[in-house]
Amino acid sequence: MTSDVTTGEKTPACPICGKPAEAKYTPFCSPRCADVDLHRWLNESYRAPAVEDPEGLPEED
Amino acid sequence: MSTEPMIPNDPHASANGAEEYGAGSIQVLRGLEAVRKRPGMYIGDTDDGSGLHRMIYEAVDNAVDEIMNGFGDRCDVVLNADGSVLVTDNGRGIPVDIHPEEGISAAEVALTKLHAGGKFEQNSNRISSGLHGVGISVVNALSEWLELRIWRHGKEHFMRFRHGEPEAPLAVVGESGDRTGTQVMFLPSKGTFSHTEFDFDTVEHRLRELAFLNWRATLTLKDERHAESREAVLHYEGGVQAFVQWLDRSKEALHAPIQISAERDVVRLELSMEWTDSYHETCLCFTNNVPQKDGGTHLAGFRAALTRTVNAYANDSGIAKKEKVNLAGDDMREGLTCVLSIKMPDPKFSSQAKEKLVSSEVRPLVENLVGEKLAEWFEEHPAEARKVVTKVVEAAAAREAARKARELTRRKGVLDIATLPGKLADCQERDPALSELFIVEGDSAGGSAKQGRNRANQAILPLKGKILNVERARFDKMLSSAEIGTLIAAMGTGIGREDFNVDKARYHKIIIMTDADVDGSHIRTLLLTFFYRQMPALIERGYLYIAQPPLYRAKRGQSEVYLKDDRALEEYLIDGGLSDAVLRLADGVQVASIDLRALVEQARAVRNLLTPLTRRLPLKLVEQAAIADALDSTLLTDPVRGPAIAQGLASRLDALETSLERGWTGTWVEGDGYTFARTLRGVTETHHLDSAVIRSAEARRLHDLAPRLRETFDRAATLQVKERETVLSGPVALVSAVMEQGRRGIAIQRYKGLGEMNPEQLWETTLDPQARSLLQVKVAQADDAEQVFSTLMGDVVEPRRDFIQTNALKVSNLDV
Repeated sequence: MTSDVTTGEKTPACPICGKPAEAKYTPFCSPRCADVDLHRWLNESYRAPAVEDPEGLPEED
Repeated sequence: MSTEPMIPNDPHASANGAEEYGAGSIQVLRGLEAVRKRPGMYIGDTDDGSGLHRMIYEAVDNAVDEIMNGFGDRCDVVLNADGSVLVTDNGRGIPVDIHPEEGISAAEVALTKLHAGGKFEQNSNRISSGLHGVGISVVNALSEWLELRIWRHGKEHFMRFRHGEPEAPLAVVGESGDRTGTQVMFLPSKGTFSHTEFDFDTVEHRLRELAFLNWRATLTLKDERHAESREAVLHYEGGVQAFVQWLDRSKEALHAPIQISAERDVVRLELSMEWTDSYHETCLCFTNNVPQKDGGTHLAGFRAALTRTVNAYANDSGIAKKEKVNLAGDDMREGLTCVLSIKMPDPKFSSQAKEKLVSSEVRPLVENLVGEKLAEWFEEHPAEARKVVTKVVEAAAAREAARKARELTRRKGVLDIATLPGKLADCQERDPALSELFIVEGDSAGGSAKQGRNRANQAILPLKGKILNVERARFDKMLSSAEIGTLIAAMGTGIGREDFNVDKARYHKIIIMTDADVDGSHIRTLLLTFFYRQMPALIERGYLYIAQPPLYRAKRGQSEVYLKDDRALEEYLIDGGLSDAVLRLADGVQVASIDLRALVEQARAVRNLLTPLTRRLPLKLVEQAAIADALDSTLLTDPVRGPAIAQGLASRLDALETSLERGWTGTWVEGDGYTFARTLRGVTETHHLDSAVIRSAEARRLHDLAPRLRETFDRAATLQVKERETVLSGPVALVSAVMEQGRRGIAIQRYKGLGEMNPEQLWETTLDPQARSLLQVKVAQADDAEQVFSTLMGDVVEPRRDFIQTNALKVSNLDV
């Protein structure tokens, strides 16, 4: 399991609206999108799927 | 520019009017003297230029009134070199007949008597503007001189005034043929206005408004005061819609303008609106062509309708719920450009300047009309409606976030570390450069970390992912808003684009410590993404780290070793397995110690290359193909060596089988690759080693390694450790055999979570600066986290599931 990392394209797109990001507001395009993002953190919109049973996943070796 | 005294016996006056305007309906209010005494009351400020320009507007408005009512289509304004202004229209011309009560011409009445306008008649069903409703008489009163010329009934009439006083009665001075219209030329009085210089752009602005609001009209403005004359011709097809598009000429509109044109009772409403990608609201409202900069009942009605309609759509469509926001009126008007023009008889304003409409009947009327039409538009334009509402909802989200950020950062107490009991176990050190903060997932791990740490300079913040049951069989994990708040508090930096200050960071090492399982990697992805997006400066300064707790503990006798991942475990086992091991090749050559170690390393590399190829083919087959050098893409087009290799490989496969299970055949097809088949007990097993596999990157690298593989494994080799002997047909078997040997006498424990380690173990492996290994988070890694994050956060469940199953490994590898 070495350098298996997905080498995603490095086109910097604003994670909120998809427009090109502005260096000044990295990684966003504007303070506005940064605020929208912050709002989502603060209102629990960002969720990762939980694995109910970690044993159920294939393990190496 | 006919001021409107209407005279019943004027046969030409009411060709178009539904009602006869009678001279009796004209109320004459005397007192031009009063105008000269208190000009501010009538024309506005006489010092700042607004009153001066209103002199022109007053004259032009009369012309536009004619156009609005269907007479004429032009109004030409000339700024003369001597400071006077010439305003000419092609309306009907001011009536010239003798006024029955006054005994002078109606035109003279209009110019000399205050409030002598038809517009003062409620029953006269006309719509007119006139900024002050005082008419042209005020212009006359405040001019040094004024010349009036009227073309009407085939005659040209002329009259001249000085300070409002007629020099002579209206007189016919010539023939005019078919021409009709009125012309006024006046010189504003220097006694009244402190400066009398007209500004071209100011006049042009007002004429443009009028041209938009009265699309039948063509208005021109000519400046002849300077050597080079300047001219503007203002005519806009499309009315208020063109107005909106002109206002947004440098903005990006989200959709084609919404157009509402309706008439109810005596009110005519024209509205055009569109949302743009900007954040500013431009809302212009007009009543009878006069702008209301303070709005009024028409604007209130429009806003109420807008709020109601957008709210309804945002709720019904679920967009507002998804983003969890409450929409405010301001959010809905962000980026909105709107021109609202109503025309109605006898509007009421709060002041002479008409800057606010107060006619109360207008509000419900506008609200209903706009509400209806807007709801219709939303229904008929779902794609555009979605765009608009998404923008509105984002505006609300940004507003709320900015407010919360301010609260979190500025309000005393919220971010006070002392108010986080039981959460943060802070360190004694006060110098951020020497302080470390461990963000530890899970309560039990947090407890161990608190006990195991060096409290002098190590702070512990336990974080617990909140589990949410989304559906019956689906759970989501997230950082609760309370956890995020605690995190921000612990950082000390504040939050939000305006308030975040990296210089206030309380720790210069912030170390994320999560379990080595998938859940842990998800929490880590969430945290990394949070820091990357909301506190990127922490990463740029190199303050953010990832802890590397061990995944395994291996114990041999009294000695124990912590191993951070599978790779480390493998290396450990190989090291153990290699002591006393000798590899005997078929030709008798013996390989041991360093040379054997190198051989095993090479075998591991080969195994890693083989793994992706075994999805469709048996390992045995590709492994032997690699040894036989069949993975050579030039063989695809070599009809001599190709078939030979195919047969050779078949024999190699046979050699691996017991005598009863042999019978492999190998065939070669040009450009396609090999097919291997064997029939056992009536069942045929077929494998196709095709050109796609042979041309893969892995196959190419295996081809490069083939000569060395053949050296070792052309014929089976034997691994001997003390008395034990194992026959090996290829590199994969070599690795397995060595590792199996290494496992002997060793107890391996796999840590499923940090919580399984006691405080001492946690200190020894992860906290102790002498023993631990930390990974500094670089922007590039955070970028990768961002990628993973967007997939994790995706709305569609299925791809998310698949992603987790297949990429669990990759996620945990983000920090490698």
